[in-house]
Amino acid sequence: MRDVSMGQYYPASSPVHRADPRFKLIILILYLVTVFFCDSFFSFGFMTLFVLITILLSRVPILKVLKSLRLIIIILVFTTLLMMIFYSDTTSAPLAEWGIFHIYLNGIYAAIKLGWRLMLLVLMPTVLTLTSTPTELCDGLESLLSPLKVLHLPVHELALIMSIALRLIPSLIEETDKIVNAQRARGAAFESRNPFKKIKAMIPVLIPLFVSSFRRADELADAMDSRCYRGAKGRTRMKKLKAKFSDFVALLFWCAITVCILFLNYNWLGWAFITALSL
Amino acid sequence: MIEVKNLSFVYSPKTPFTTQALFDINLSIETGDFFGIIGSTGAGKSTLVSHFNALTKIQKNSGAVIVDEIDLSAKKIDLKKLRAKVGMVFQYPEHQLFADTVLKDIMFGPKNLGINNAEAEQRARDAIALVGLDCAEIAERSPFELSGGQKRRVALAGVIAMHPEILVLDEPTAGLDPKGKREIMDLILRIKADCPTVVMISHNMDEIAEYCNKIAVLRRGRVMGVFSPRELFGSEELLESCGVELPLVTELAVKLNGLGVAVDKSVLTENELFEEIKKAVGVKNA
Repeated sequence: MRDVSMGQYYPASSPVHRADPRFKLIILILYLVTVFFCDSFFSFGFMTLFVLITILLSRVPILKVLKSLRLIIIILVFTTLLMMIFYSDTTSAPLAEWGIFHIYLNGIYAAIKLGWRLMLLVLMPTVLTLTSTPTELCDGLESLLSPLKVLHLPVHELALIMSIALRLIPSLIEETDKIVNAQRARGAAFESRNPFKKIKAMIPVLIPLFVSSFRRADELADAMDSRCYRGAKGRTRMKKLKAKFSDFVALLFWCAITVCILFLNYNWLGWAFITALSL
Repeated sequence: MIEVKNLSFVYSPKTPFTTQALFDINLSIETGDFFGIIGSTGAGKSTLVSHFNALTKIQKNSGAVIVDEIDLSAKKIDLKKLRAKVGMVFQYPEHQLFADTVLKDIMFGPKNLGINNAEAEQRARDAIALVGLDCAEIAERSPFELSGGQKRRVALAGVIAMHPEILVLDEPTAGLDPKGKREIMDLILRIKADCPTVVMISHNMDEIAEYCNKIAVLRRGRVMGVFSPRELFGSEELLESCGVELPLVTELAVKLNGLGVAVDKSVLTENELFEEIKKAVGVKNA
């Protein structure tokens, strides 16, 4: 149960950890969009290089980041496989074919690129959650979304809901652990190989978990009420987010990378070396 | 009989969150003991007892726990046999209740052991009676509509119905009022008639002093020693070195003694103190 490493904060002192969460979020969005513009192997390699640099800068063990790939391994294998066997290319002869399945050289390239893109899409968000605490992320998101208050969107409340939810995940895991242990001590068969027995064994865990979640929610609501919590109006912050010079530098840097990728993709000026790299 | 040999345990090994909870623990709990385990929060008490029925697996090269000839450091353990033998009552056991009736909830444990419906029900009814609840009134009610004290009794009954030979209790009286505490402790004494070995974690020194015959003091994952109540609470140096507080009755006796009342400073229970005070002020037994 404790193996929920996806999105778990990894405490360390690094420039990536210290960066303003708002900037990290903006850079992440920029990065995700840019990944979709990658088209050639060179541009994928170019992006991967900067992802690796970011991971090294964050001082998170690289294996810890790569572990997040475990979660998408099935999707990864499936999509690349499907891409490979169903890709159709009328300009070249297939390398192999069985019935409706054809394998083209371009199909293999496309499949590799697809898999590569998926990995890039998962790695950076993992770096973000490994290097920022949930609170930082919520504060960053609230601050970024605050212009939407004009449209009467309850931004503060949404951020609060998110931060409570995130905050309670470890508590829920702990609670689940406790209840699982209590029921195991009463002979519950979680160790059983039979999937039906396993599902049935979850009932004595889920019900107490629901009961305790409701109890917790009630208590939290009472605690907030008794501290006169009234929502966003007139509320100040103890820790104000402050953008540093280095945050702007990082953002500019990633903008430059985006421009590079766009150039590699569209080759507006018709440079010959880009055409050479366009595989 | 539980034997703990050179047991160590590390939480989240090989991560930045790694903490060692137990260091080289050696203990021997014999049949018939009322064994107390005390120590401040984070001393490793709960981690230690969770080894007793293999809820926590013994890590590689980290010692051994042997429960009545079952070696828990072995690769394959007969969990059913072990869990029938060692009953475990966690902190706030009422949080584990789940079934729609009290009876079904108590039958959950025995049925997991492979006991047939009729006998499981009989065991459940006996257990309800043993914990001092009215079977006819409570058996078909939902456990969620009971009071806190009743819920705890039902949870206890759920473990007792498995007929354990060793009962492990993690702060059984936490969060109860003084009357509820006393009732639960009396109940545990009643259970002890059938289940000879009881291991109890507690922060309440009065309970420990009154009921336990052996006390293990844990501090930061190490056993400071195993003592009888008189040894431990009678020696200021031991209390000092183990970081243990006196039971309230003993503290009261010490204070009275300091004020010149002739009472023995080593009393451990309310009754003893009562007799001492009676002696000191010269009241004859009526």
